[in-house]
Amino acid sequence: MIETSKSVQIEELQSALEETIARARSEQNDRVKKKLIQQISRYNSSIDKLRNGRKISRQTKRDLIAYSFIAPNFIGFCVFTLIPIVFAFALAFMKWDGSNPISFEGFNNFRRLSGDTFFKAALKNTIIYCIGTVPLTMIASLALAIILNQKVIGRGIFRTLAFFPYVASLVAITSVWKLLFHPSKGPINNILYTIFHVSQENLPQWFSGGLCVVSMILFSVWKYMGYYMVIYLAGLQSIPGELYEAASLDGAGTWDQFKYITWPQLSSTTFFVVVMLTINCFKIYDVAVMLAGGGSGELTVSATVLVYYIYQKAFIDWDLGYSSAVAMVLFLMVLIVTIIQFRGQARKEA
Amino acid sequence: MKKKVISLMLGATMLTSMLAGCGAQEAPAPAAEVTEEAPAADEAPAAEEAPAAEETAEAAPEESSEPVTLKWAIWDESTTQYWGDIKAAYEAKNPNVTIEMVDLGSTDYMTVLATELSGSGSDFDVVTIKDVPGYATLVQKNAIIPLDDYISADGVDLSKYAGATDQVVVDGKLYELPFRNDFWVLFYNKDIFDAAGVDYPTNDMTWDEYDELARKVTDTSFGSQVYGTHYHTWRSTVQLCAVLDGKHSILDGNYDFMKPYYEMVLNQEKDGVCRKYTDLKTEGLHYSAAFSGGDVAMLNMGSWFIATMMTNLASGEYDSSLCGNWGIVKYPHAEGVEPGSTLGTITGLSVTTASDTPDAAWDFVKWVSGEEGAAVMASSGNFPAIMTDEVKAAITTLDGFPTDDASKEALNVSNLYLEVPYGENVSEINSILDSYHGSIMTGEMSIDDGIAAMNTEVSALQ
Repeated sequence: MIETSKSVQIEELQSALEETIARARSEQNDRVKKKLIQQISRYNSSIDKLRNGRKISRQTKRDLIAYSFIAPNFIGFCVFTLIPIVFAFALAFMKWDGSNPISFEGFNNFRRLSGDTFFKAALKNTIIYCIGTVPLTMIASLALAIILNQKVIGRGIFRTLAFFPYVASLVAITSVWKLLFHPSKGPINNILYTIFHVSQENLPQWFSGGLCVVSMILFSVWKYMGYYMVIYLAGLQSIPGELYEAASLDGAGTWDQFKYITWPQLSSTTFFVVVMLTINCFKIYDVAVMLAGGGSGELTVSATVLVYYIYQKAFIDWDLGYSSAVAMVLFLMVLIVTIIQFRGQARKEA
Repeated sequence: MKKKVISLMLGATMLTSMLAGCGAQEAPAPAAEVTEEAPAADEAPAAEEAPAAEETAEAAPEESSEPVTLKWAIWDESTTQYWGDIKAAYEAKNPNVTIEMVDLGSTDYMTVLATELSGSGSDFDVVTIKDVPGYATLVQKNAIIPLDDYISADGVDLSKYAGATDQVVVDGKLYELPFRNDFWVLFYNKDIFDAAGVDYPTNDMTWDEYDELARKVTDTSFGSQVYGTHYHTWRSTVQLCAVLDGKHSILDGNYDFMKPYYEMVLNQEKDGVCRKYTDLKTEGLHYSAAFSGGDVAMLNMGSWFIATMMTNLASGEYDSSLCGNWGIVKYPHAEGVEPGSTLGTITGLSVTTASDTPDAAWDFVKWVSGEEGAAVMASSGNFPAIMTDEVKAAITTLDGFPTDDASKEALNVSNLYLEVPYGENVSEINSILDSYHGSIMTGEMSIDDGIAAMNTEVSALQ
């Protein structure tokens, strides 16, 4: 009895399926056609289900297997990243010290921002740092990549040397920088004093005042250019050699070759580099603390950056809501810059 | 179009996940702590006792037979002798109690501790309180309990703490008992004064006399520099000289009174009398390294450095030919102020809200901050909160303590002002003053501008 009803059902579905296939064949409109094709696959899977007596269709099973592979990473991502992010968004409108009950604050946290000297200083320093670091690192790494893409003797060694600062421990190399740029005993200031006769009072204080951000920029460019150089090298090597050959036959000089072949061909690499650089620059914290923080790791107004201020508000003053509000500002800035970059890239490709 | 939206969203997710590491650290902390909960099995019987603070006295004798483990937060276990001494002495007296020490490190001890005590997963019973801003944070977070009921029940006499406890009362309640009380003195290197043919500093010096003395022993010739004095990069080394007149406090909201002291220090820096702040900040030079290097004549520092000097000279870590001949005198004072006025820093113990055995924890706190704990502290050259003549005698007769009478006399304090008394917003005020201290000392801001900025920022808090 059950068997017969099953076969009847299958037959019904089969005929419906054939009809849909016929309609899909004759259909001109793309969108309707797509819908019909989806229906066909649905018919197929329900017929499949009935025939094999399975509760779970093959497709669902395939999906489940795929999900089970994604799950370990995704669960970790949820617990340690996604939930905290959502929580941080919510916290920006709350007042919380980590122990006492949370209370709702509305936009008060954001209103406080405009009158906060330290926040404004941190914002200013972060932006100056980004504006300085992103183009400089990009130019330096591209130049390095182009030079080290040529057949020069010992290019492997030079590539390694350029990459080395990126691999070296931040703590160790900041110590070296601090030694080199030491305000009174460092070789840099000694050279300025003895060779360029800069008077003792006018010697640059590399790690305080306005120069602090400059030191941070110089340091970051030096440390991170090797990494982006490697990315550019990969980009350069994927440019077909024929293009250069053809260009040189047409009499294009080195600059023209760069302008009309290398640069446009590298546009997607440049896009990636700029996005990564921008994100990393806005996140700056370690370099600032190591270079300008001294023994206590405290940053003054001239060296403070957004992430440091977020940390300070959250874990020194335990004002988690306000600190989340600052984090939202940082998030928005990165988001806006990234959207602009995506737009620009999309227009270029179109 | 759809693709673009998806790629944009992916981009956004990617950068949010990258930002998460720094932008949204708040949430993982409590989550991570929940996993640590696992209560120690041997605490289970004691846990049944009412954790309410009121019924204390009668519970204490009963539980003396049951095994109790107290988890105690400390710092620098390996380099500080007294933690182990206290544990050993207390366990010998209370065989049923095991003290489990957890070293949270010294540099950011209060920050780490506050993180540990956030949420509900903490299993600390007793925590050491390193500074007042951190204490204020813990009180506001309800992480530690008021001790007043215990104090009145056990009849602890607070007058023996010479007023130190009054300065950390929060809304009429006391949340910590001090067991160590350090005060600032002036360390000096006798060899340098002998070599320069200058008289040693005395126990009765005004700031002007001190400044003059520092300039006398200073030698700026290259290669054989001698610095007349030394200021560590802490805000305390400069700003707190100013509060010794007893009229001002760092909670005032108006900091104009600090100006003469900034002027004195910056002028000394300019004339090579002390090392430059920017140099120290860049090098991260520790004050102990500076003083033990033998080219610093005077150093204003807390009395904790006495024990450090004695231990490290005895172990040979400091070269005794460079700094072995040292002494201490009372802190210099402002004109018209009684000599012996100095700054104090108390180190206290608190019982956590999360403790399963608050009564046992209180007993430990009471013992350590009481006379018996004081004796243990003094035996290793540290200054307990209860300063009696016996304690002073115990410290001054220790091997390695300077033998001159002035050094012994220097331990007699007339007025003790806490570096940071308790006040609302004390943590924020601390951050603001720290930051502008740095700005003034590095020359980013003039003294007037820096002090004006302190005034505006601190008054904006209220």
